[in-house]
Amino acid sequence: MSITYLEAIREAQAKLLRDDDRVFIYGQDVGGAFGGAFKATKGLAKEFPERVLNTPISEDAIVGTAIGAAMQGMRPIVEMQFADFSSIALNQILNNAGTHYWRTGVPVPITVRLPSGGTKGSGPFHSQSMESLYAHYPGLIVMTPATVEDAYTMLIEAVAIDDPVVYCEHKYLYYHLKADKLPDKGLPTGRARIAREGRDLTIVSYSAMTQESLAAAEELAREGLEVEVVDLRTVKPLDTDTVLASVARTGRLLCVGESFPWGGTNAEVIARVTSQGFHLLDAAPRRLNAKDTPIPYHPNLWSAHRPNAKNIVAKARALLRE
Amino acid sequence: MPQVPIIMPQLGESIAEATIVDIKVKPGDEVVDDQEIIDVETNKAVMGVTTPCKGKIDKITVQLKETYPVGAVLGYIEASEQDAARFAKHAPAPPPQKEVAEEIPARADQEVAPARERKIAARDGDGERAGGLPVPAITKGATFMSPRVRARMAELQLTTADLAGIMGTGAGNRVTIKDLESFLHKIENQTAHEASKIRAGVADAMRRSWTRPLSTIGSSVNLDPALQDRQSRDPKPGLGLYALRALALALAENPAAAAKFIGNRVVQSNSIDIGIAVEAEDGIMVPVIRGADKTSLADLTTKYKELIELARQRRISPDMQAGGIATVSNFGIFGMEWGTPIPLPDQTLLLGLGVGKRFRRGTKRKRIRPQNRSANHLKLRSSQHRRRRRQSFTQSA
Repeated sequence: MSITYLEAIREAQAKLLRDDDRVFIYGQDVGGAFGGAFKATKGLAKEFPERVLNTPISEDAIVGTAIGAAMQGMRPIVEMQFADFSSIALNQILNNAGTHYWRTGVPVPITVRLPSGGTKGSGPFHSQSMESLYAHYPGLIVMTPATVEDAYTMLIEAVAIDDPVVYCEHKYLYYHLKADKLPDKGLPTGRARIAREGRDLTIVSYSAMTQESLAAAEELAREGLEVEVVDLRTVKPLDTDTVLASVARTGRLLCVGESFPWGGTNAEVIARVTSQGFHLLDAAPRRLNAKDTPIPYHPNLWSAHRPNAKNIVAKARALLRE
Repeated sequence: MPQVPIIMPQLGESIAEATIVDIKVKPGDEVVDDQEIIDVETNKAVMGVTTPCKGKIDKITVQLKETYPVGAVLGYIEASEQDAARFAKHAPAPPPQKEVAEEIPARADQEVAPARERKIAARDGDGERAGGLPVPAITKGATFMSPRVRARMAELQLTTADLAGIMGTGAGNRVTIKDLESFLHKIENQTAHEASKIRAGVADAMRRSWTRPLSTIGSSVNLDPALQDRQSRDPKPGLGLYALRALALALAENPAAAAKFIGNRVVQSNSIDIGIAVEAEDGIMVPVIRGADKTSLADLTTKYKELIELARQRRISPDMQAGGIATVSNFGIFGMEWGTPIPLPDQTLLLGLGVGKRFRRGTKRKRIRPQNRSANHLKLRSSQHRRRRRQSFTQSA
């Protein structure tokens, strides 16, 4: 049996619906026979017709409704059609969901699924990575699974958490990434994973960039360079300890993320490592992000815009020469 | 017409860069071979940069008051095919293709510090690079230490000098943490023992001293007058004390000779305090005699005896060793004829005394014979004011 990243998300939701009456799925075209823009809820409405619900095309209203349900004890899963569109619901997610528990003591256990990141020809409004933006605001958990296994266990974990969770699933991994079977249990939330061990350089990445980084590490291994790849799994909370322990082994740090370069997760990782682990660094830490422009449509421009295994290799090589 | 680059020439030994102070030509001007077209200023002088061949100035790529390294292209001459062919083999290689910029800079960014950008660009392809920047020759090797190397050194109480023997594999041959660890691993099997405090202190002082340029000069001195004077005294002062007293008087006359050069200021001492090297069990201590120019030889003799006694008991406190402006070291008592003594890090001058020898008077060929006239070989070592010091000393002696 082989299961894709997308199927893992569907399986997780099926399991959640089956195991917990409080769970319902709420989003545009998620119900009926359509099963969502990417088919992440395909077939679920058939089994749970009253709990997989289509919504109006209003992200603001969708999240607002989910927050109300969560306050009343439900465990809603909201599907945004594209992560990019969640910006319309920013007020609900950041100002209402993010602050509610801190203002009232009443938790808001919603899970907002964001189909994130670039795919070929998707252009500026269907390719963005929003994790760094959500991570900036207090009160939210931000998950960025990089593997089929994590996509499954972390979504189940997201629904179990009482805090609002922004679950960033990567569209590029939907069909590309496959696993043999789904695990029962994953690492705890907030714990990073050593995706590959090495002693020459630490690459910290998450989501699809973990896969690109692993491919880059494979390429560098042919030259005898041993790259350690840390998969953050959740960008918030950020597992500084695992990152520092890895930098302690290697002395060099490269952060790779698909979001825009200004600020963000890479900047945060580097800030933490330089302030808490300056003495561990044998070279200045580097980062690799997408370019600081809107994401281009054209496939060639797009592949030049985002980090990929090839330019990770180039960046890593340069860093290893320092 | 082909172009020949105008190159910043090697303007002298140890000169790495020069500042443009005058540009005497403009694009379109006809120039002859070896014509002075640009004046540049180094830390030594203003010099002219000349044309490599005759032709017409195509463009000048440098700006007034900017500094460029030796080898930088200053401009181009439109020259004949023949001349161009002659220079082709010397032409610099085209700059390497730059990686695609990580971030496409905003327009505002591009306007920041254009002068600095240009300088860096001018140094492109100039050899070693670290962190994307060229490494000046003087900072090669162990000079750049990463935070991690520094932390490891602090942990092991290593100094920069300890890294001097390590071949660096990093950019600009810097010593990386791996280089340091493999070096440490290599010496693990060699015999080693903990250094005593005094030994470590002496070694540390010597290392710090070596951060400065040092030079040694020597001169023979006739000690007969001192030996005669000595006969008339009780207790008899050592010849080292005569030298110390002479040095003190000389420095009182010319205190600038022992002044310290700190930043761009010459800092002079308020008092002629002279240290004297005393052998202790595991190294050397340098107690200081305060106001040595105002202390009589008889008092010096008494003080010296006290200090020797304290040193042997290891009771010379750091205070008693601090604040000297010069030191006398009498290695002659070990039979050494000459040496290259190194001034203490906080001093600029050290007077070394070699062993006294007797010479027969009146013969043309000098022959060393016992029990005749004696002369003492004196060594002076100073990082500053050497000539004057020597004169002062010989006058005083």
